Amino acid sequence: MDPLLALGGVLALVAAATLLGLAWRARQDRYTTVVEAPALTPADLASTVSFGADATLVQFSTEHCARCPGTRTMLANVARSRPGVVHIEVDLTHRADLARRFQVLQTPTTLILDRSGRVRERVGGAPHRAGIIAHLDTLPGSLHANLPH
Amino acid sequence: MPTSPTDPGGAGASAGAPRPRRADLDPRGPRFGAGITAVLLLVVVFLSLIGASAAALSLLAGLAVLFAWGAFAGAGRHPWGLLFKRFVRPRLAPPTALENPAPPTFAQGVGLLVTLVGVVLGLAGLAPAVGIAAAAAFIAAFLNAVFDYCLGCQLFLLLVRAGLLGRGPRDAR
Repeated sequence: MDPLLALGGVLALVAAATLLGLAWRARQDRYTTVVEAPALTPADLASTVSFGADATLVQFSTEHCARCPGTRTMLANVARSRPGVVHIEVDLTHRADLARRFQVLQTPTTLILDRSGRVRERVGGAPHRAGIIAHLDTLPGSLHANLPH
Repeated sequence: MPTSPTDPGGAGASAGAPRPRRADLDPRGPRFGAGITAVLLLVVVFLSLIGASAAALSLLAGLAVLFAWGAFAGAGRHPWGLLFKRFVRPRLAPPTALENPAPPTFAQGVGLLVTLVGVVLGLAGLAPAVGIAAAAAFIAAFLNAVFDYCLGCQLFLLLVRAGLLGRGPRDAR
């Protein structure tokens, strides 16, 4: 092949990879509102930790996940700073059934459960703290503003 | 190219010290290495397109050896990683967080598999396979270097879901 043409092919490959990357990035930290989800219990998540009185942050991880530890630190921090909010991390490495049941296609994936254990929001990719806080604030019956101390 | 210090509110800045693990990596190391690998893979694609099949095959074989190094010795001991530690990291601010070396090591194994298929098919006389394998590996390395995309993490999850990795209860739905 003519070297110039080959160079064009190489540039096209770089362009295609860039488009792929942009498409992937656009889907990160994107919230999906879940309607009419059934109420979950900790047993559904193979968790021994009780759900939060106000909300529960369920984080799906695997052992091979670069961003899960950072997300764990952030979500645990949010849970510590807000009474009534609990963070639960579910390792899917040995629980393929949970990965399929909750249709987890990337890690981390985080579910925000309300006080009754229903999934209200779902976010794929590493979320930002501000987004999590904002969605916790919009949960029905959020007592965050006037909690007794 | 660090993407890190964007988290507002400084999660874990005060008391929340992350538990330290021994062989954790500066996440910028594997990305730096992926950048070098991506450029070399692009050279393979170019060589393959202009018909320099022998040169393309040799370079891809060399890259396969490097992937094998990373996959078996761990991402932290990869030659590009050593280059990063020696020449790049001293010029950067300390990392805001360290990362588990398992995902990049797994990704090196995936790179090894893809490049090895290209090398074997190339040796068998199927010259275009060299360029195709290099292009596939390039996309993964490029996404890793530029967008911080972790192909190893993604494939690991999909393999777990397919029941090929990890061990789950047999009563899985």
